[in-house]
Amino acid sequence: MTPISTHGILGEFYEPDDALAAAAKVHAAGWTHFDFLTPFPIHGMEEAMGQTRSWIPWVTLALAAGGILFAQGLQNYVMVWDWPMNFGGKPFASWPAFVPITFEVMVFWAALGSALVAIVAGKRDTVPQPPPMLVRTGATVDRFVLWISATDPKWQADEARRFVQSLGAGDVRIVDLDGGAHA
Amino acid sequence: MTRSDLSPYATVMDDRQLTGRPIVRKGAGPYGGDLEVPEPLVTGAKKWADVDRDICMHAEQFPTKRWWWAFAVALSFLSLLVFAMITLFYTGMGIAGVNQPVGWGSFIINFVFWIGIGHAGTLISAVLYLFRQQWRTGINRAAEAMTLFAVACAGLYPILHLGRPWFAYWLVPYPNARGPLWINFNSPLAWDIFAISTYGLVSLAFWYLGLLPDLATVRDRATHPWRKAIYNALSLGWNGSHRAWRHYESVYMVLAALATPLVFSVHTIVSFDFATSVIPGWHTTIFPPYFVIGAIFSGFAMVITLMTFMRGYFGMKHYITLNHMEYMAKILMLTGMLVGFAYSTEFFMAWYSGSEWEGFVFRNRAFGPYWWAYAIMFTCNAIVPQVFWVKALRRNTWVLFIVSILVNIGMWFERYVIVVTSLHRDYLPSSWGMYALTRWDYAFLFGTFGLFFTLFLLFVRFLPVVAIAEVKGVMDPKVARGGPAAGAVPAAPALQEA
Repeated sequence: MTPISTHGILGEFYEPDDALAAAAKVHAAGWTHFDFLTPFPIHGMEEAMGQTRSWIPWVTLALAAGGILFAQGLQNYVMVWDWPMNFGGKPFASWPAFVPITFEVMVFWAALGSALVAIVAGKRDTVPQPPPMLVRTGATVDRFVLWISATDPKWQADEARRFVQSLGAGDVRIVDLDGGAHA
Repeated sequence: MTRSDLSPYATVMDDRQLTGRPIVRKGAGPYGGDLEVPEPLVTGAKKWADVDRDICMHAEQFPTKRWWWAFAVALSFLSLLVFAMITLFYTGMGIAGVNQPVGWGSFIINFVFWIGIGHAGTLISAVLYLFRQQWRTGINRAAEAMTLFAVACAGLYPILHLGRPWFAYWLVPYPNARGPLWINFNSPLAWDIFAISTYGLVSLAFWYLGLLPDLATVRDRATHPWRKAIYNALSLGWNGSHRAWRHYESVYMVLAALATPLVFSVHTIVSFDFATSVIPGWHTTIFPPYFVIGAIFSGFAMVITLMTFMRGYFGMKHYITLNHMEYMAKILMLTGMLVGFAYSTEFFMAWYSGSEWEGFVFRNRAFGPYWWAYAIMFTCNAIVPQVFWVKALRRNTWVLFIVSILVNIGMWFERYVIVVTSLHRDYLPSSWGMYALTRWDYAFLFGTFGLFFTLFLLFVRFLPVVAIAEVKGVMDPKVARGGPAAGAVPAAPALQEA
């Protein structure tokens, strides 16, 4: 493996449609460690980048099931087993009374858990990113920035530069390990 | 024909050019018919970079004199609340007006009032998101913030009403050394704890997730290293990566889908506090839908109040256009009519049920000693919003503002009517009584407005008040783009068919 002296390459686009077309070409050319930094999500970008649907809803499903089990378990444990009390002769396990809390706990677990998992996934389930706060990309303003990481198995600095330029990207920059960037 | 030829985005400069109706292009449809193009959601031919500047400006400059004045007023009301709370903790519940037979008074009224206001934010952010109503992008951030602050105000009251608020943690079921002594899970008051805390925290998560990309925008605009570092930490290092957007969009949808039934469940459970009792006027099956629709009604009224200020004082007219205001006016009128329908249904059921007690309670509501509260409620909630049948009035911000204030007042009195009139005359005439707010009740009522507006003013001072990333997504890229003019860079070749 050749020593990596650079982080990767940046090239910017100015309209979502151009970014989408470029993403499809990068994916078709066989690059894998690439990303698009954009100010807002672009519809269809997942498919263009060759990604599958996010797996977050499965996490939500599992957490919702966990929340239901926890709430039912807690209420039945307390009201039937640990501290049974007679309210006007009603049954101890009066399941309709347990529905509101079961619903709320389900939503609580599913929503907050999914949010936490998604935040972590945004950092972990990704490719090496350009160095934060050192490279000014404009990706939170109005630039749609293509990033190809030097960790890509296909990486060859000159070839990457030629390829990104051939996509029609503007302001193509190689990012060095110290965070500096040059054409 | 390119998209910008079809889209009126580049030509609509301000509210005066908006009509609230789609723009018809004769013969531009796919089969030669007319094509209806919606009016743009952002006026002024803004570019994406302009959005950042317009919205972040208020968080970046030293606050204006106007802001300081507003903050000073809000802060003095907040200190009134703090003073009232200290007095309440020191003296006890005796300073409030509650007594036999009206054991639930202004604290419960204010609790239901604020929770109701807190419903519009999540409705706008979640329900309108699921229905793909793109106009929500202009108002959802501020409405969600309003939700959080309203829930904070609401959450105070049950705790204050406990009498011994320092034992508030006993409401949470946890293994303890008191027996263990558990809460009664059959009680709607216990359901409330779960509903309100879930609602508050899920709304917070939803709001914060929506803020992440915008906090990164504020960070990237910041020049001071501390400011940059603080906003970077708050944005969790967001850089706009599409591999993060993929999960972000998914979880945003999931949260919207979870928050939608949550909104309806919360006020349903609040209404159970009343409906599961055996008090005539409370023990009715209409209460859950009646409370939920009233909550949406009052919440939208408060959103209109706040948006009027944001348009006027914070110069957001390009992002919160007259069309946005008209959409909200329509929702206000619809929910106002539903609320009026619920009032009438209650009367019908009181007669149709044949129950002597129900019949008396409703006659007493409308014609008893509290007839004036009922009259204020009915006029403000069911009659006043009818002005919105006229399009010109829907698009007049003064009318909107006044109606929204009247609806807020009317909805406060709705809760007053529900809580007080049902309690003050129940089954036994010998135990009848009257209820009046003491000066401390007023201090709490106005004090929570101080808390609410203090939080809201801090929010507009430090955070982007409009969802920047979402607004950018509904703008026309051909006009809003940055960088060299279109065509200067060789355009990427068209996407190949796979």
